[in-house]
Formats: sequence, C-alpha cells, structure tokens
Amino acid sequence: MGSSPKPELRRSVTPWGSFSWGYSDVGADIFVGLGLVLAAAAGASNVAFLFAGIVYVSIGLAYTELAATYPVAGGGQYFVLRGLGDVFGFIAGWAVLLDFTIDITLFAWTAIDYASQLLPILVGSNHPWAHFIMTLLCIVGLCGLNVLGVRESTAFQGFVSAMDVASETLILCFGFLFAFRPDLLIHTMRFDWPTPANLMLGTSLAIISFVGLESISQAAQETQRPASIIPRTSIGLILTILVYALAYSNLALGLVPWHPIVDVHGHPVQFWQIFPNSYPGGADNQGKAVALLAAQVPYYGALAAFYVPVLGAVLLLISSNSGVFGSSRIAYAMSSTNLLPSIFQRVHARYRTPVISIVAFCGVAVLELLFAAMPSLDPHFVGIYDRFFHGESGLDFLADLYAFGAATSYSFVFLALIALRLCDPLSPRKFKIPLNIPMTFRGERVEFPVVGIIGFLGIFSILMFTLQTHPLGRIFGPSWLLLGIVLYFSYRKRKGLPILHSQKRDWRKAQVEILRSAGELELMDEYLANLKASDERRAKAQTP
Amino acid sequence: MIYEGYGVSVTVAGAVIALFIASVVVATLFWMLHPPASYVQRIAAEAESELERLVGSIIVVFSPEINSAHMMALAVKLARGERSELLAIYVVEVPYTLPPDAEMPEEERSALDALGAAETIANRSNVTMRAETIKARSTKQAVLDMAKREKANLIILGSYREGKYSGAPLGRTIEEIAADAKCDVLIGVEGKHGTLLIDEGSASPAPAPAFTTEE
Repeated sequence: MGSSPKPELRRSVTPWGSFSWGYSDVGADIFVGLGLVLAAAAGASNVAFLFAGIVYVSIGLAYTELAATYPVAGGGQYFVLRGLGDVFGFIAGWAVLLDFTIDITLFAWTAIDYASQLLPILVGSNHPWAHFIMTLLCIVGLCGLNVLGVRESTAFQGFVSAMDVASETLILCFGFLFAFRPDLLIHTMRFDWPTPANLMLGTSLAIISFVGLESISQAAQETQRPASIIPRTSIGLILTILVYALAYSNLALGLVPWHPIVDVHGHPVQFWQIFPNSYPGGADNQGKAVALLAAQVPYYGALAAFYVPVLGAVLLLISSNSGVFGSSRIAYAMSSTNLLPSIFQRVHARYRTPVISIVAFCGVAVLELLFAAMPSLDPHFVGIYDRFFHGESGLDFLADLYAFGAATSYSFVFLALIALRLCDPLSPRKFKIPLNIPMTFRGERVEFPVVGIIGFLGIFSILMFTLQTHPLGRIFGPSWLLLGIVLYFSYRKRKGLPILHSQKRDWRKAQVEILRSAGELELMDEYLANLKASDERRAKAQTP
Repeated sequence: MIYEGYGVSVTVAGAVIALFIASVVVATLFWMLHPPASYVQRIAAEAESELERLVGSIIVVFSPEINSAHMMALAVKLARGERSELLAIYVVEVPYTLPPDAEMPEEERSALDALGAAETIANRSNVTMRAETIKARSTKQAVLDMAKREKANLIILGSYREGKYSGAPLGRTIEEIAADAKCDVLIGVEGKHGTLLIDEGSASPAPAPAFTTEE
C-alpha cells in the first residue's frame, strides 16, 4: 500500500482569473493614488504618472519574464531565491510578506471609507467602532473565502474586475468625449508646473499606485498553462493600467467640470485644484478622486456619482483579498524552500488551499488593524502615538511600510532577473524582455537585460527616496527586516541548515518538475534538449 | 471644438482619445483572453472535431446472433450529445433454402422486441430514431449495404449471443463487419465475458487486483 499523494495547489485560475488577481491590486491603487498625485504634482501629474509608468513597465516586464519562466507560487521571493540565494530570497520574501499583510488591512480599511460615502454610519471619525468592526469583518470574511478555495475567490475577483474595467473605460470615454479641453490641459501644464521636489514626490506616489503585478506571479502555480498565459495577462494588465493612469491624469488636468467648482471666495477653480491640502476639504478629496472625477462627467456623472463609491469600495475589498492570497502563497513557497517552517506548506486535504498560511497572515493583518485603529478607538492612545510616532496616524505608519516593502522587494527582483539571465540561460523563456546585450558567461551564450539595469536604478532611487522622506518607514522598515533575519537565522540553526549560505538544490530537476506540473510539456522538452546540448558542449570542451 | 453647449464640450482630440482608449482596452483584453493553443490542446481540439464526423450518422445493429441491447443506451447518449442521426436495424438472415421474402415469424417477433426496446430508450432521452427490420441472405452484407445507403459514420454492434460461439472471439459476423466496413465500428463486449481478470477462487470479482505489479 503506497502512501497517498501529497496534496498540491490545483490549477484552476483561468486567463481572466490571472488578470483579475493583478487588476484588483493595481486598479485599487489608482483609486487611492490619483488624488494624492494631483495634490503633489499639480500641473505635472500626467508627467509624474508617465515617469512612474516607465519604471512600472520595467517592473511588469521583469515579472512577466520571470513568472513565465518559473511558474511557481512565491513570485518575487522565489525568483530572488533562485537568482541570489537563500538569504536574499528570505529578505525579499519577508519584505513582500510585510506588504501583503499591510495590503489586507489598508485596503479593507479604505474600502469601508469608500462605503461611508453612502453609509454615514461608517464614517471613521464619527463612528470609529462601527468602522473598526466592519473592517475586521471584511478581513475575517476574506480569510474564509480564501480557505474555501481559489476557484471561489477568483470568480469573485473576476466578476468585480470585469465590472470595474467596464466602468473605468466608460468614465474615461465619456469624460474625454464630453468634458475634455486640450487647451485647458496645456494651460494647466504651463502655468501650474510644480517644483522639482513636488514632482519627485508625485512620481513616488504614482509608482506606489502601480503596485500589484506581484499578484499575477503569486498565482502562477495555480494558473492553467502559466508559461503561456502569464505573459499575456501581465502585458494586458500593464497596458490597461498604464492607459487608465495616463488617461485619468490628463483628463483631470483638462476637465471642464459639469458642475462649476468655486473656492471660498466664490472664484471658479479647475478640477485638479480641489485636491491640494490648501483647498478646504482637499485632504478628504484625495482619497476619493475617481469618484469626484466621475461625478463631473456630463450626464453620465449623474449615474456614476452613485455607483462609483460602491465600485471603489468593492475594488478596494478585492485588493485586500489579493493581500490574503499573496501572503498565504508566498509563505507556502518560502516554507517549501526551507526559508520558513514547514507548517506554512500544509495544504488542506479537502479544499487544497494553504489554510495555516491564510489564517496566520490574516491574524497579522488583524494585529495591524488594531494598531492602526487604536488612536481612534481610545483617545488615550493619541498622546502615545503623537509622542512616539511623530504625530502620524496608524494608517500613515502602514503606508510608509507599504512603500518600503514594495521598493525593497522590487529592487531585489531586478537583481534576480539579471542574475538568472547569467546563471540560468538554459531555461526556456517564452517571454523575454526586449533590449538585451548578447555575451558569453561561464561558457554559455547569455543575453544581458538592459531594462533590468534601468528598472533597478529607477526602483532603487525610489527606495532611497522613500527612506529619505518617510521618517517612520526609515526606522520600522529596516526593523521589520532585522526581526525577520533574526528569526530566519534561528530557524535555520535549529534545522541544521546553512545559515549564511544557500542550501544545495538541484535546480535542473526542480525546473523540469515545475514545467511538467505546469503542463508546459513543450517547454520541458526544450529545456531538456538545452541541458543535453550544454552538457555535450562542456564534455567536448574538456576532452583533450 | 466640435460642439459646446448644455454643459458639454466635444472636441476632436477628446473624441479621438476616447475612441483610442476604448479600442486599446478592448483589443488588449481580446488578445489576452485568446492565447495560442498548446500541442496537447491542439490534439484535444482535433479529437473533438473528429467526434462530429465520427458520430454524424449512427447505425445500431441487432440480429439473432448479435445482442446490441446494452449498446443502445450508449448510442442514444452519443446521438443526443452530437445531434446525430440514429438508425436501429434488425437483420433477419433468410436461408438460401427459402425464398428471400419468406415469412419467419419467430425472428420477426424477436425483431419487434429488440427494436421496440431501442425506441423506448431513444424516447426516454428525447432522441429521434428510425427503426428497420431487414431480411437478407447475409447479415454482414445487409449491414454494409445499409451503412453505404445511409452514409453512416459509425456502426455500433454488441457482442455475440451466448451459446452461439462460432470460432471467432467476437463472433464471425461481427468480425467480418468490422473488417470490411468503410466507416468506424464500435463493438461492445459485455464485461461478464472478461473472465481473465476475475479471481477464479472467489464467487465475485476481486476489486482491482489486475494492476498489481511484481517487485
């Protein structure tokens, strides 16, 4: 009697499911980020989005190539592990874990904020307990949804993503058709150009609003024919979001408001001018920019004013769901490579989902929620937060760490992309980033990715900028990494595994198994043929 | 500016950008959702397209030697799924010692029973079926002629009747039809004849000992 086969994550994510996992993250970021960028970069908001978009495209292309080549759960963390070794793989994964758990809390919180536009009882400043309990219920509910299985949660995300794609396209099309003035856009760009510092700030906020591509590669191990599907869904996501971001920013700068907007003196102002903090209620407006813009679209705005807040809330909620999905999958991947305890690798025999990972990281998200909500729930904590956290709120603190985690992990991913191009040229790449320099490295023909260097410089500069401009992120980001490294060292020591060095792994065998289990049999054949040819070349070279 | 009034500002640039956005989004999503098929998927698609050709017109054969009752339900399911034409025939073999149109009441009675049961199965599944009783000198030739006339894609045959073993494992008539037919032939042999896989020491078949391998 043989032992029962080990349960594996089932491949049930379709092309649309793969797209929607990424879209739910990135689409929600734009809902939040547009107002922040308009407030910071003013007449150069479109330029800020363009700059950020270039870095975003580089990140997207890197993830596309790597996820299609190595279609396993874990995403960026796994790529860094293969390219740079165990320690850096752990650091990258630990940073992404921080991001995903914050993602769960942050987006569930803001989803309730959006809902409060139509349900005043949920306004956080007036009813903090109602806001807190609803956010908590959202996190717990999403946890349960993911425990039940990826097909159920993918269907949920797929439906909402489809609704949002249709809605955003309609808003933009109606907006440009009925309310866009090119001369107004040029006038705004000419006379309201920001200072260089503000432009940099706007650019950094814009890049944060593009975070989310990680989700597609996180779902790679559950995607049908990942090497073929993921390049398409990634490129589809990159193009869609880039078009939306550039279109929204240009429309906002050249929009003729349907209902005239005036300042405190009764003077008419342009649409984008309601977002800076100097405008009364500007800070509130920053968090609901898409809803405000949609309401200003002639005729269609009458309908959009009602449903966009709801859609925004739902989209933010599924972005939170992506956090649940991502954190559990990355923990699964890290435990399977001995970077985290094997308990995170356990898959539920019935639902075939990593239940322990899901529950554990939702638990971390709940702790973060408690931290963020404490000052509003109990006024006694306000003084403590003022004293120890520079007067920033709990959500500001989480946002700082969110930016830090994303920039850190993406920097490592670019390094991993370059390292894997050099060290693993034999793995078939169904998608390859353009602009490569052919060269020979350790006897093999390789292609050095120029975009990898450009992308690394771009994202690393943003990491430096984040550390420079976010005092809490500068302290707590590295502290989180330090805590993780201490835990990692103690775990590896206890297990008798190398601490500073990497565990020996048969990557060739692993790659064959990855492609076989992905159903990419043609790529597996190509890889085996590449290996054979390489071995024969080496044998011939060693023969005197 | 194309039009301005009633709170609306329509410009050429705005209209072009709106059209561009809609086109890019639709084209991107369409391209994304239609990835090229893999080798395995192409094989599966070809096999599926063959199915229509395979079961476009089905003939189920009955005769005193051929028991196809258990295959009729399968034929009906195939016909329903693929909307095939379904014909059940009962071939009464007339010996050369009798004239071709000689009355054979016992065989004709059996034909009525067999075709009646076939019609009942088809009616239960809402499948339209034709039934014919054919008198012929040779069952094989009658079946092949009928398949040619009907341009059949598939002939479905059951197994030989017990007690009429004629030296061929599937029955001589069945084997001859299978050998000479110009279309596909599906022969259903009832499981009770597969005694090789049954543990002879027990009264009932063993659960699944047939796939054990030697160390």
